[in-house]
Amino acid sequence: MKQKSLNSSWMFQPAQWLRTWPLTLLLFVLATTAVAEQIDSIYTQEVKESRYDMRVHRYRKHWAALIPTQYVIQNAGNMGFLSAGIGWDYGCRRQWETDLLFGIIPRHQATRAKLTMTVKENYIPWSFNMKRGFSLEPLTASIYLNTVYGHEFWNTQPSRYPDSYYDFMSTKFRLNAALGQRFTWQIPQEKRRGLARSITVFYELSSCDLYIRSMIVDHYVKLRDILGLSLGIKLQNL
Amino acid sequence: MESITTYLYRTRTLARSAAQRWLALLAAVLVLCGCEGAFDIHPYDVNIKGPKGINATNTAIIERRCLGKDTLRIAVISDTHGWYSDTRDEIASLNQQQGIDFVIHSGDLTDTGTAKEFEWIHKIMYGLNYPYLALIGNHDFLGTGNQSYEVIYGEMNFSIIAGRVKIICINTNATEYDYMAAVPNLDYIESEATARSDDFDRTIVVMHAPPYSDQFNNNVAKAFRYYLNLLPNLMFCVYGHNHITVDDDLYGDGLMFHGVGSSNKRKYRIFTITPTGYEAEIIEF
Repeated sequence: MKQKSLNSSWMFQPAQWLRTWPLTLLLFVLATTAVAEQIDSIYTQEVKESRYDMRVHRYRKHWAALIPTQYVIQNAGNMGFLSAGIGWDYGCRRQWETDLLFGIIPRHQATRAKLTMTVKENYIPWSFNMKRGFSLEPLTASIYLNTVYGHEFWNTQPSRYPDSYYDFMSTKFRLNAALGQRFTWQIPQEKRRGLARSITVFYELSSCDLYIRSMIVDHYVKLRDILGLSLGIKLQNL
Repeated sequence: MESITTYLYRTRTLARSAAQRWLALLAAVLVLCGCEGAFDIHPYDVNIKGPKGINATNTAIIERRCLGKDTLRIAVISDTHGWYSDTRDEIASLNQQQGIDFVIHSGDLTDTGTAKEFEWIHKIMYGLNYPYLALIGNHDFLGTGNQSYEVIYGEMNFSIIAGRVKIICINTNATEYDYMAAVPNLDYIESEATARSDDFDRTIVVMHAPPYSDQFNNNVAKAFRYYLNLLPNLMFCVYGHNHITVDDDLYGDGLMFHGVGSSNKRKYRIFTITPTGYEAEIIEF
């Protein structure tokens, strides 16, 4: 009984569908009107952004570019005992980085502890992927400007000195250069905690302008005398 | 290349478990912390690991060695800045001299006052066969250089009695203080005139910048000369700073100021003090 009634249903008799053509036509016409209605609707007009919208997008994009993409912490490197800060990476392969670091020089035997600030530019030409999310950056080249805060230090010689007395230097700003290597681990999605997307450990060998000058002035000073080691960790959050 | 591969393979097989790997990492960190000298904190960090208070230590040695001597031979070098090779030759030349009692460096040990430069110059001066004393020069003030100097050498004004001669070393770098400190310290000169007066008969004054130079507080140049009159039997003064070896009667009153040239000019001086007078030699090397 049940089987029969099902078979007699109009849905299973395609020939009967043709009988419903007036209804089909009505639905078709209604559908086209709906489309016609959409053309005139406010939603389709938003496909082309107004100048205001574009400006807002640009505004958001530019401010968003200021969000740091990484956190860096490293020791020594003529920046203090320990330096920490934020950084941004850019370039089509993210091969450029700019870091802003603040460091502490402990008091040791001086009259007080000192604060330093560093703007550091890194260039990472290659990155080789290895197994299990590890990658190796065989070379990093950095140049950084370090400033130390305190009344003992000056940028250009104070007026108390005769002209061109200490013209060759600034005691406040140090230009440094470094070469290093890195090892990065891309944290798998399920293991990510906090902000880090990947963790990089690195080392650098660096020296500063005053030391390089000493080596140039007198070859008694050897490269090994002026190179310093620095170890660091970078957390990539974007 | 093969050995590196073998080594890497071996370390991989050795550090199999996670615990072993962490231990290896910890060991690596400890080894790195051990070679603390590998880390450069800052050129103007004052964290002196080498000898400290050199002037006080060497004063004791010199005073003991010269006790009862009637003839002294004192060598004076100056303004070594960053000229390490020249200074090394200077030290080698000094070591070949006969009968030198001690050496005085009359300032500008470094060029930019960094702790590393102080370390390098001391390493060279340590090669001397004689004890040495060092004054502070204006370049040694740069950054935290003056603080490093005070740790490594000691007080900026100091004196020593060798035989029965008192040698007074005075900081005269007034420009470094913007003329706002007691530099040269006239009270110090006055106190030295009478301190340990039983132990000496004659006096010598050593300074870095001479009167009427760009570093001297020339407002007190005449006062300085007046105070020098307080010193018993002042024989002569020695200075550096100008990088030239010259003998000046700066005040036109017969008191001789002997200039000692910089190490790159490859000249130094030896003062031979006899019971009746003194001789100022110029040695070229």
